Amino acid sequence: MDFQLTDEQRDIRDTARAFVTRELLPLEEDFLRSGAARLPREQERSLQAKARKFGFWGMSAPERYGGMALPALTQSLIHIEVARTCVPFRFGGEADNILYGADAAQQEEYLLPTIEGRRLGCFALTEPGAGSDAAAIRTSARRDGADWVINGQKTFISNGDDADYAIVIAVTDRDARHGSTAFLVDRDAGWTSTPIPTMGSWHQPATLFFDQVRVPAGKVLGDVGAGFDLAKRWIGKGRHVISAHCVGIAERCLRMAVDYANLRETFGRKIGANQAVQWMIADSETELEAARWLALRAAWDVDRGADARHSVAMAKLFCCQMVGRVVDRALQIHGGMGYSKELPLEGWYRAVRAMRIFEGTDEIQRLILSRDLLRGFTRIGGHLA
Amino acid sequence: MNIVVCVKQVPDTATERKLRSDDKTLDRDAADGVINELCEYAVEEALRLKEAHGGEVTVLTMGPDKATDTIRKALAMGADKAVHLVDPALHGSDALSTSYALAQTLKKIGFDLVILGSESTDARTGMLAAMLAERLGTPQLTLANKVEISGAGITVQRVTDYGFDKVEASLPAIVSVVEKINEPRYPSFKGIMAAKKKQVQTFGIADAEIDAAQVGVANAWSEVADFAVAPPRAAGTVVKDEGDGGVKTADYLASKKFI
Repeated sequence: MDFQLTDEQRDIRDTARAFVTRELLPLEEDFLRSGAARLPREQERSLQAKARKFGFWGMSAPERYGGMALPALTQSLIHIEVARTCVPFRFGGEADNILYGADAAQQEEYLLPTIEGRRLGCFALTEPGAGSDAAAIRTSARRDGADWVINGQKTFISNGDDADYAIVIAVTDRDARHGSTAFLVDRDAGWTSTPIPTMGSWHQPATLFFDQVRVPAGKVLGDVGAGFDLAKRWIGKGRHVISAHCVGIAERCLRMAVDYANLRETFGRKIGANQAVQWMIADSETELEAARWLALRAAWDVDRGADARHSVAMAKLFCCQMVGRVVDRALQIHGGMGYSKELPLEGWYRAVRAMRIFEGTDEIQRLILSRDLLRGFTRIGGHLA
Repeated sequence: MNIVVCVKQVPDTATERKLRSDDKTLDRDAADGVINELCEYAVEEALRLKEAHGGEVTVLTMGPDKATDTIRKALAMGADKAVHLVDPALHGSDALSTSYALAQTLKKIGFDLVILGSESTDARTGMLAAMLAERLGTPQLTLANKVEISGAGITVQRVTDYGFDKVEASLPAIVSVVEKINEPRYPSFKGIMAAKKKQVQTFGIADAEIDAAQVGVANAWSEVADFAVAPPRAAGTVVKDEGDGGVKTADYLASKKFI
């Protein structure tokens, strides 16, 4: 068993790390002071353009769309690095995975401009009465001549207030088992949005309202009735990435905690000389290391084509809880400084709470894990059993 | 144009750096090895000159086995091939013997232009470019923040305390660069994937006709007699201004031989 990264993985990781260190970390102080939820769009696009010059573009996009089509594990390594700063950034050149299966006209109108950063989409599945039980959605689309007319409400939609189009999952046949369909709906078609203020500063989802929104038949993504399958594919695409994100945040927090413990003096000695602080550091390191391997192992399962749902659920459950504990301890070690808005710790403390909720709550992950074991879908010991 | 860039692997400045207790040389296993930052500027300049004038960029490094990481980084940035001078006999070589070993290797591989970073973050002697030029009998153009090639001639802006000097020479020549010269590129995704297919030649001291009696810790001209952890900074001297603050400050500086 070899726990090393390959040379390529390490070099790609190092390039991502250098980019974060040189381009993003220097922006952190001003970003925190600004109180903004994200970088100005233009600034983010110019950073993406800079990264594109050295090929960091379209990490998950197929090569025929100019992407890198990187293995999930390599993508996870990059996400860990990017998560080390609170400055929200993602390398450009990507689009929602289900858009790659769109027809030629839709690719021209939605996929390609999204990859180029000229359009911004959002994925609208969740409703006030339907979250992980996606089959309970009520937003409907009914045929009216050659058109479809959409009515309903979507909520907690990431990018929902900024997007200029939405991929909307709506019920098209209430009696059929596969009775939902995905639609590409421009904001111009008449839907509106309201941001939802949340506990986190850097994530502002929105509620979307559809009132007699009319779209032509050409806006159906995939087939009529394929909405639920597309939604499952969308949800499945990147849950392992959230775990990597947790690992990156926790790494940075622990680094800050260790540095501060070696710097800050009280009662004539460094606070790192106190066992209370030492134990917080030791526990954080241990949990972080466990989380790292769960996250990478889940990505490895994705890459080897195995059914990764079980290992992804374990990784998400553990990593999202781990990061909360590590941020909390790092903040505690920093004392008043940790509570101040001059450091990213208090922001992370609030932001990471969402990770135990979105893309499947802790409880949903536990449901998946226990069901897999109780019904014999997986074996104790996983692939080593 | 055949450009050789000398790069050095140094311990990461972000980690704790140590000397070995046995032979008082740098403990290269104690810290992560990274490419010396100024060497990245040297590689970048070499790549820009190649892009403008054609030719080939060869990376040359002297260091232990793990220095291959640094070679790979330079190759990923876009250098064409590499030479790795590695031999247990070279361990502990000081600046003077390092310049001898590198000069011998450069004679073997040939060059029109050699580019170096002006110093390394570990030893910080900043002497290697001048020593190489002397040993190879070529002009030295050090501390360059701008390099121009025209035909067989080279012109650099040499950074000085008062601005810069314009220095001209003919090729072949040795150039050292400062960090103001350019912004090093990131290794590209394609470059990273291509790096492993590029040629890395390994030289031992016999290959480069290096005399073992002139290199290594036993033959170094400089010696680390002793070392100790730097003492914690002592409290400063406070000058209280009672109308004579200027005089007191001047007296203090004079007592320390600053003025």
